[in-house]
Amino acid sequence: MATSSVIGKKNKMGQTYTDPWYMMHEAPRTPSFFTGSEVIKEAIRRASCDVMIAYPITPQSEAAALIGELFVEGYVGDYFRGESEFAVMSECAGAAFGGARVFTTTAGPGTMRAMENFPMWAGARLPIQMIVTCRGINSPLSIQPDTLEISYLLNTGMLVWHAETAQDFFDWILIGYLVAEEPDVHLPLALCCDGFFVTHTKDVVQLTPADMCLPPYDPYRSPVPCMDMECPPVRMMRDPFVMKSNYISYATHASWQQEVWAAVERSRKHTIRWLDGLIEVDNGDADILIVSSGTAVSQGREAKALLEEEGIDVGIVKIKTLRPWPGEEIREATKHAKHIIVPEFNIIGWLAREIRATIPNSDRVFAGPHVGGGMTMPPEIIAADIKALLGIKTAALAGRGS
Amino acid sequence: MSKERIQISPDLFDIMPAEYQDLVRRATYGKEDRGWKDIGMAKELIEEHSLCAGCPESMAFRYILASLPNPEDTVMVGSTGCTSLVFPHVAVHNIHSLFGNQNAVASGLKRALSLRFPGKIKDVVVLAGDGATVDIGLDMTLQAWFRQEKFTTICFDNELYANTGGQESGMMRKGFVAKMAPAGKMFEKVRLPEIARESGCHYVVNCTVSKPNLVEKVIKNAVYVAREIGPTYVQLYTPCILEIGKNSMEGLQEMRDAERPTERFAYKEYISDQAKELLAEIAAKEKEKKAAAKKQLAGKEA
Amino acid sequence: MIKRRLNIRMSGLGGQGAVTAAHVLAMAAARDGKYAISNPFFGAEKRMAPAESYCRIGITRIYDRGELVYPDVIEVFHPQVITMGKSYTMPFYSGIKENGIVIINSDVPLLSDEDVKRLNDLNVAVFYIKGTQLALEIAGTELSTNMAMIGSVAGITKCVTLEALDGALQERFGKKFVASGGTATLDEAIKKKFAKKEMLLKKNLETVTRSYEIAAEWAEKNRVELALAAA
Repeated sequence: MATSSVIGKKNKMGQTYTDPWYMMHEAPRTPSFFTGSEVIKEAIRRASCDVMIAYPITPQSEAAALIGELFVEGYVGDYFRGESEFAVMSECAGAAFGGARVFTTTAGPGTMRAMENFPMWAGARLPIQMIVTCRGINSPLSIQPDTLEISYLLNTGMLVWHAETAQDFFDWILIGYLVAEEPDVHLPLALCCDGFFVTHTKDVVQLTPADMCLPPYDPYRSPVPCMDMECPPVRMMRDPFVMKSNYISYATHASWQQEVWAAVERSRKHTIRWLDGLIEVDNGDADILIVSSGTAVSQGREAKALLEEEGIDVGIVKIKTLRPWPGEEIREATKHAKHIIVPEFNIIGWLAREIRATIPNSDRVFAGPHVGGGMTMPPEIIAADIKALLGIKTAALAGRGS
Repeated sequence: MSKERIQISPDLFDIMPAEYQDLVRRATYGKEDRGWKDIGMAKELIEEHSLCAGCPESMAFRYILASLPNPEDTVMVGSTGCTSLVFPHVAVHNIHSLFGNQNAVASGLKRALSLRFPGKIKDVVVLAGDGATVDIGLDMTLQAWFRQEKFTTICFDNELYANTGGQESGMMRKGFVAKMAPAGKMFEKVRLPEIARESGCHYVVNCTVSKPNLVEKVIKNAVYVAREIGPTYVQLYTPCILEIGKNSMEGLQEMRDAERPTERFAYKEYISDQAKELLAEIAAKEKEKKAAAKKQLAGKEA
Repeated sequence: MIKRRLNIRMSGLGGQGAVTAAHVLAMAAARDGKYAISNPFFGAEKRMAPAESYCRIGITRIYDRGELVYPDVIEVFHPQVITMGKSYTMPFYSGIKENGIVIINSDVPLLSDEDVKRLNDLNVAVFYIKGTQLALEIAGTELSTNMAMIGSVAGITKCVTLEALDGALQERFGKKFVASGGTATLDEAIKKKFAKKEMLLKKNLETVTRSYEIAAEWAEKNRVELALAAA
């Protein structure tokens, strides 16, 4: 395999192509006090990325600009600012069709503007990695954190992961390429986080050595031909699929969609290996479980600590991947739970709906608290909701301005 | 790609489809002086078209594919429309992704190929209809030119949306009555060739496909200039005989009528100084080569 | 009062360096071996418009993210936060926890009788520091006001050591630092105020130290105790 033969060799920046398992699990780590945006840059420095295409939109602009510095330094092959998110995602597609490892970042309205590209990426089996730093998409204009946009990505055929912390971000950007580029997967990855909470917060992140990088992408491991005229051009079909309503066309489209979703399923085994499971459970024997993804998990952890002080035992289930959906894992983890609390940073509660559709006795699910419009979710309000659920009287939380 | 890449293992030769066997034996990949005259004499890179009988677009497709200087290292990018019905029959790598984003896709593609194959020719050619190029995709068409992306943009201008049934497009003549323009189109045909020139294209041509030798020259020039200097734009009139109420036999005449000196598709070109220099260089080399060949031939005869 | 977590909300105006203050304080806490995170208020940056930042320091890992709705300490960087309501919360002390502390940069008292009563009811201590005056006297620029605000919260709570603050300042201003938008512009402005980088660091540290001493003295005299538990 071409990818293993480069291990130990150096790239033009003097970084050593390193066995990914060693790099992620055994290589020494250095603690660094960084914002999430800086962490994205540091991950891409080590990702042997060929092309990054940028566009300004809060809160991902800083990360997108920092990768421009990597390009000038020589760590990224090509980099430019596109004209809109729709165009950027098409430019990413072109670069991936041409056999490049591609990276981009977007947020909120940008995700929505680019949406038409995502099922196309999946259908064309382009293993592009896109960071989504979620923000509000409603009108009036909002730039604040809100995870509603993730729900629109769930049925595009992309892999969708939801990072909780900057540390997740660092590790998962690198791991993301490893999983997305597997020949039996070869799908785009939307690596999401709650904007600002992760991108603009300074936190300690453990970084792998800067002189180690991932092996480069090998486009000839793709299950579909790389569009570089280095392999024979195929006459794809007698009649193009779009041409007529005919049964061959129907069957082709239906089977290809099945194949895309089968590839999502096949990513499961790789993801479980690399992320150490699709979910993470802390104190899973508790009667009360907080089940969520992203920053809501962090706030849930704080609520757990608050409730512990009052003698209330709470467990945490962190959902790492939304696609593939860890249905079996969630069923197992919540088997004995009496109350399942699903806090979310959106007012729709799409995650609670997914969980309800997954588990038996779904009336155990309490969808909330929901924070929309960008405010943080104080752990105190999660704790208050849980106490209310248990019938414990609580003093009213001090409201704003009280 | 060299022609070896498409060779078939001798043991498997007989079970390959006849068209593919033909492609290996008689395609013009790698032939230096390939051009429109190969049509009918060699294996064409377009198997058959799935357009209307007599559609001028099918002629344009054949001339262009016969004229590409390096089809063995050319990747084409299409868009949604009648052209996307033909691309599946084309024997060069071609990408269809969405409607209108062809110049964005080509930008990323060209950059990836330049990165992966430094010093090697990898031509990128965009071919899309006027709706894709001018209406829905105008932003990306122009921005690729502003950025000086090194690929050729070809627009098949049939002055309407053909594949969806003849709706008004920006390239349609003023006053033409069409679907979605029930009282006739209210504004002038968009002047994209002029816009292309102002947007940084180094080689711009507006013509019809009535003369194959002209199409060959224009396509070759456009690809050479894009490869060495920067963006190029070719706008070809490929009338939709169906939607303008003509018969299958009348496409050629329609183009001839439209290219008269006072008409919309009278031959028009713009070439930047830089491109002029390059094309003169190429022409001089051609001439030299021909003279040398002639001398050699004369020597042999003597 | 001894706490496992100290939540500090800094309310200022755009251009005063509140974001940088929270970052430096968190960096210093991390140097002291504590857990710390800092973040700005998430919104458009505008000069002289409300700007808030948050610093959380604790003895266990901190997961909590975003704006601090229930702070232990509120620092007011500019009188207009109170007098003109240039605050993200009305009143500016909304959500303050019982036994908390309010630190205000002002030469004169600014609180209404009603505010004083409400804060008294919550047993919140109020400390006025002439931060801008200190900055002008010591560093020669009001851009160092944020240093006085860092020093005062550290002096009262001892949440970070002066040594760690010195190190954090070196880290923040001594080398190339990635700052965005308005913060980057401020960095340039303050660098221009000092002939040499060493001078900038020295004067800033002096401002921090002086306000630390003043604040520590006030806390001792008034028996205000709000501190972090030992790790």
